[in-house]
Amino acid sequence: MQEIIDKIAVCIELGKISKTTPFPPHMKDQDGADEIAAAALQQGVSPDALLAGCMQGMERVGKQFSENLIFVPNLLMSAAAMNAVMKHLKPFLESGAIKRKGTFLIGTVAGDLHDLGKNLVSMTIKGGGFEVIDLGVDVSTEKFLNAVAEHPGCSVGISALLTTTMVNMEKTVKTIKEHHPDVKVLVGGAPVTENFCRQIGADFYSPNPQGAVDYLNRLVA
Amino acid sequence: MHIPGLTLIAESINDSVPSTHALFETEDMGGIIELARLQAEKGADYIDVNVGYRSPGFMATVVQKIQEYITLPLSIDTPDPEIAAAGLAVYDPGRAGNRKPILNSISEARLEMFDLYAQYPFIPILLATEGKDSLGGIKMNLSAEETYATAQSIMQTARERIPSVRNDELIIDAGIMPIGSDSSGNFRRLMETLRLMHEESDFTGVNRSVGLSNFTVMLPAQKGDGSPVKGPLESAFLTMAMPLGLNMIVGSVKRKYMILPQDHPAMQCLQDALKLEGLDVIMRVMSYIA
Repeated sequence: MQEIIDKIAVCIELGKISKTTPFPPHMKDQDGADEIAAAALQQGVSPDALLAGCMQGMERVGKQFSENLIFVPNLLMSAAAMNAVMKHLKPFLESGAIKRKGTFLIGTVAGDLHDLGKNLVSMTIKGGGFEVIDLGVDVSTEKFLNAVAEHPGCSVGISALLTTTMVNMEKTVKTIKEHHPDVKVLVGGAPVTENFCRQIGADFYSPNPQGAVDYLNRLVA
Repeated sequence: MHIPGLTLIAESINDSVPSTHALFETEDMGGIIELARLQAEKGADYIDVNVGYRSPGFMATVVQKIQEYITLPLSIDTPDPEIAAAGLAVYDPGRAGNRKPILNSISEARLEMFDLYAQYPFIPILLATEGKDSLGGIKMNLSAEETYATAQSIMQTARERIPSVRNDELIIDAGIMPIGSDSSGNFRRLMETLRLMHEESDFTGVNRSVGLSNFTVMLPAQKGDGSPVKGPLESAFLTMAMPLGLNMIVGSVKRKYMILPQDHPAMQCLQDALKLEGLDVIMRVMSYIA
């Protein structure tokens, strides 16, 4: 079983989606995350073990990304490989047979239409074993509030790419904290800094996606 | 370094550049002036000034200080009308050979920035990446047709708001997105939009610009063999886009922009990328940078 978990982790780390995807070149014509996950379930490997393989792979990817050893295209390929495994795990996730570590709501702040940073964080946290609910871009404070109310115990991530929409980030964080003082709020995006995070009363800032996963892991530890 | 017919708005005085951010944080005006001077020496046509999330007064001070030492026109770069007004108000065209500053940028979401024109004339960069949806909200334009429609409508607005404006005093930015994450056809959208504008006589003489460094953001600096990644890809983009009317960029004076031969690997990468869909684009870029 360990062998299967390792194989899944390697496919995700290197972005090998399926047998037919030509990337990475040295794995051409080999089975990818899709085939290995399907075969593993057939052989009786537990869905939990497959998810563990995903988490191991995505953790390696997240670390390498934060150390500038790999870049956004790699992360996108890894996420696609992870999604190939998740497709097979979907029934188990929906039935509750696999438990996730927690729920994470994420969205780009009101007035801001940029979604790449949000998506990178979203896929990395999903790969960390959390359920991720993506509220999209240009998310109003009200929409964040409603979503928090619907998902008790969740944490919230807010992204902004524009210096002008950082103002909206402050408003959203403060309003969430007023209504739900115990909900942890994470902020990120190119213009956001540690200082700004403290100034607006958010709980955590990370310049890279893996930092957010590590923080959420500490919360549930 | 210069490609004939390409105007360079030099990008380094921008809060999102970490070393410049540090200059702003410490209010190191000497360092900021030095950066402006360096870019002027290395062939900039305009110096962009983006002070990020700071006071209008700070923008004014930076503009004044740079103009004390530099005679190039500036590009006042902010989406915030107050910060824009502060920069434009102190800008002295007399110091820049009577040339107007660029205002970077006006979008359908902030048309009120045209109000500043009467007092402080400028050359606007008109952003065509976001348009109005049917409910009057702002949406990202996902297709070339939508981007082109926004380009037409915001250019029309500019002509109404700036009476008798000349075409060469307008700049349209159709938006350039990182090629390394382009799984949704953004590069194709941009090239197609450039082509649509190029074929419409109403756009003749209107400047067309992009923020070129955004194209290669999040890619490694070097390939596995140590050769550069970003310069060739950006040059390949220029080689393909300039025949379609692109004549301006916000970019780096450090980059050696050039027109590439058709068989250059970076050209082949982008030409393939135009024909591919989804993750195949990402894989093509990765095989280029491997």
